[in-house]
Amino acid sequence: MSLLNIDSVKARTFDAIVIGSGISGGWAAKELTGKGLRTLVLERGRDVRHVTDYPTTMMQPWEFEHLGQLSKEYRDANPVASRCYANREDASHFFVKDAEHPYVQEKPFDWIRGYQVGGKSLMWARGTQRWSQYDFDGPARDGFAVAWPIGYADIAPWYSHVEKFAGISGNKDGLASLPDGEFLPPHEQSCVEKHFTDEMAKRYNGTRPVIIGRCAHLTKPQPIHLAQGRGQCQNRDLCQRGCPFGGYFSSNSSTLPWAAKTGKMTLRPDSVVHSIIFDATKNKATGVRVIDAHTKQMTEYYARIVFVNAATLNSNLILLNSTSNRFPNGLGNDNGLLGKYVAFHNFRTTISAEYEGFQDTTTDGIRPNGSYIPRFRNVQQQETDFLRGYAAGFGSSRITSTDTAGIGEDLKASLMQPKYGNWRVGSHMMGETIPKESNFVALNKALTDPWGIPQLNISVAYDDNDEKMIRDFHEQMTEMLTVSGFKNIQTHDKPDKAPGLDIHEMGGVRMGKDPKTSLLNKWNQLHTCKNVFVTDGACMTSTSTQNPSLTFMAITARAANHAVAELKRGML
Amino acid sequence: MQRRSALKSLTMTLGGLVALPAWATGWTPESLDVVQTGSVDDQMLVGEIMETIIPETTTPGAKSLKLNLFAQRMIADCYGPEAKTTLKQGLALTETTAQQTFGKAFANCDTAQRKEVLLKLVAANDPVGKPFVDMIKRLTIQGYTNSEYYLVNVQHYTMAPGYYHGCVPVKLVAAGTK
Repeated sequence: MSLLNIDSVKARTFDAIVIGSGISGGWAAKELTGKGLRTLVLERGRDVRHVTDYPTTMMQPWEFEHLGQLSKEYRDANPVASRCYANREDASHFFVKDAEHPYVQEKPFDWIRGYQVGGKSLMWARGTQRWSQYDFDGPARDGFAVAWPIGYADIAPWYSHVEKFAGISGNKDGLASLPDGEFLPPHEQSCVEKHFTDEMAKRYNGTRPVIIGRCAHLTKPQPIHLAQGRGQCQNRDLCQRGCPFGGYFSSNSSTLPWAAKTGKMTLRPDSVVHSIIFDATKNKATGVRVIDAHTKQMTEYYARIVFVNAATLNSNLILLNSTSNRFPNGLGNDNGLLGKYVAFHNFRTTISAEYEGFQDTTTDGIRPNGSYIPRFRNVQQQETDFLRGYAAGFGSSRITSTDTAGIGEDLKASLMQPKYGNWRVGSHMMGETIPKESNFVALNKALTDPWGIPQLNISVAYDDNDEKMIRDFHEQMTEMLTVSGFKNIQTHDKPDKAPGLDIHEMGGVRMGKDPKTSLLNKWNQLHTCKNVFVTDGACMTSTSTQNPSLTFMAITARAANHAVAELKRGML
Repeated sequence: MQRRSALKSLTMTLGGLVALPAWATGWTPESLDVVQTGSVDDQMLVGEIMETIIPETTTPGAKSLKLNLFAQRMIADCYGPEAKTTLKQGLALTETTAQQTFGKAFANCDTAQRKEVLLKLVAANDPVGKPFVDMIKRLTIQGYTNSEYYLVNVQHYTMAPGYYHGCVPVKLVAAGTK
C-alpha cells in the first residue's frame, strides 16, 4: 500500500504548477514547458479545444434563433453576465452563469468570468498597448499606492518576446507615452478617423495623437504563427465565438497547443483550486489542493514552483484561502494587505458625434479594431484637479438608413434602398482608477460556493477622482470634436454602470519594493514564500490606461524565465 | 453559398489541416426550434399580418421568409409578459376589426382591406391596437433585414471579407453593405 501511495504521489508531482489557463496562465505554461519543466496546468472550467469546441464560429447571422439576442429567461437568471457587451447569443456559452458561481457584492460589481480552458482569452477585446515609463512612474510621482519595483526597461524585452509570438498589429507611431512594439502591419483608419488625427496634430501640437489601435490580430502571419497552426485574420470580427483561423491570439489557439507540443504539459480541466499547500519547515509552497469540479473530491498535486494565474480576483481568493499556522490570514499576507488596493478601468462614459463631410466616401470590409487616443492628461506632469488620466477608443462608420414609414410594397421598396447618412463617430473612455485600501476583496465568513470554498466579498467603487475624470473627458473630447468640425456631439454617462464591466480589474496582490507594503517582489514572487509567483492582473500595483492583457503576458513570461533560472541555481 | 466560400477560405488558409466538425454544415431554417406558443390559427394570422407589411413581389416576402416563426420566437423567448398579452389581444382585435369593417376574416380580406384594418388599429384609441401593430411591424422589419435573402442580396454580407478599406468612393460600395 505504501508503494501504491508513493507511486500515486509521484504521479501527482510536477516541476511546476500553473493555476489557470487564461491569457497569463497560457503564457506561464508555454514558457515553463519550453524550458523543459514538467508542468501541470489546472483549469477550473471545462476543456475547450481550438476550432472543434467553437460551436457557433461558422454560423451566419440569420442562423441564430434570436438574431444574437439573449433570451429573457437567460437575462433574468443572469443579470450580471447579461450586462457584458460580448455576451450575446453567439458566445454566451463562454460566460459564467451568475447562480453557478456566487459572490457577494458589498458594493455593486459586475464580475465577468470565463471558466473554461483559455478563460477570457477566447472573448477578450484584443487591444494590446505597451505601458511607458510614465505609466510605471505614476504611483511614486503622484503619491498613491506604492512605487512599482520595475520600470519600462525591465519589461520592454518581454513585451517584444510576447508580441512576436502572439502577433500584434500596429503602426510605429514613435510616441513616448505609448512605446512602439514588434508590429505586424496596421489596420487602416477611416477617412474621418484620419481627419481627426490630422486636426489633433495641427491644433494640439502633437500632444494629443490619435492612432490606429494596436491589437492581437495576424494581419500578416509570420513563420512563428504558421508554426502554431494559425493563419491570416479574415476580418470577420466574430472573435468572441473563437476563431477557426487562429486569426487573433488566445491561449487555445496559441500558447496551450505550443506547450502541449513539448510533451511536458499536463492540462487538467474541471480542477478547482482550493488552496496552496505551505510547508513551514521548508518555508515554501509544496503544491496545491484541487477539488474536482464534478466529483468534488479533493486531491493534492505537488511541484517545486506554483504560478498563480487564476485571473485577478480568483488569484486573490486562492491566496486568501491558503491559510496555515504560519499564514493564518492567507499565503504571504504578513502585512494584511492581501486583497486590498484593487483597482480597475473606468469605462462608464462615452461620447458620440457626426461628421457632415466626406459624403462621397465610405468604408468597405470589416475591421476588428478601432482607432485609439493614448492618455494625454497629466503625462509629463500634473496639470488637472484629478490624478492620472484616460485613454479612449475612437471608431467611425458611415450611417446608412432606410425609410420605415408605411406598410406593404412601398415599405419593402424603401428597405431595399438603404441610403447613406453622415459619418458617425464614437469614443469610450478608459480611465485609470487609483488603488486604495477601501477598494478590496475578502473571504466571506459564512457563505461558501458549491465546492465548499468561501465566497468572495467584493467591495469596489468609483471615487471623486473618477467623477472629475469623467467630466474632463466630456469637456476635452467635446472641444476636440468641435474644433475638428464634428456636429451633434453627445455625451453619455451611465452612473449605474458598476465597476467590473470593464473586465480590467487588477491588484490585491501588488508588486512593490518593500515586504511591509506589498505582497510580491520585482519578479512576482511572494516576498515571504518565494516559490509562489503571481503574474496575472492581481500583481498590478497601479492600472494606468492601457488594455492590460499584453502587460500580464509580458510580466508572466519575464517571471517564468526568472523562475527557471532560479530553479537551475538551486534557489527555489 | 456564403458558408461554402467561408469554409473554402478556411481550408485554404490552414492548408486543409482542420477537420471541420458536423455543426459546420447542414443548417436550414427548419432546423431552428419551432415555437410552441400560440395556436396554429394564431401563427397563420401573424403570418398574414406580416405578409401585409412585407409582401411577396418579384422578391420574397414575409411568408416565404418564414418571418412569423421568427416573430413568435422572439416574443416567446426574448420579450416580457406584456408583449405576449399584446400579441394575444392584438390578434383578437385584428380579427374583430376585420369582421366589423369588411364582414370577413382578416385572411380573406384583399391587400387593400388588410392595410385598412392595420391602419385602423394604429389610429384607434384603445390601448392594444397601436402597440400591437408597432411590435409586429418592428419584428417584421428586423426579421426581413436580417434574413439570408436580405443580407446576401441587399447588404452583400460576407462573413469573412478578408479586408478593410477605410476610405473608398461610395459609388463602388452599395449603401448598407456590410
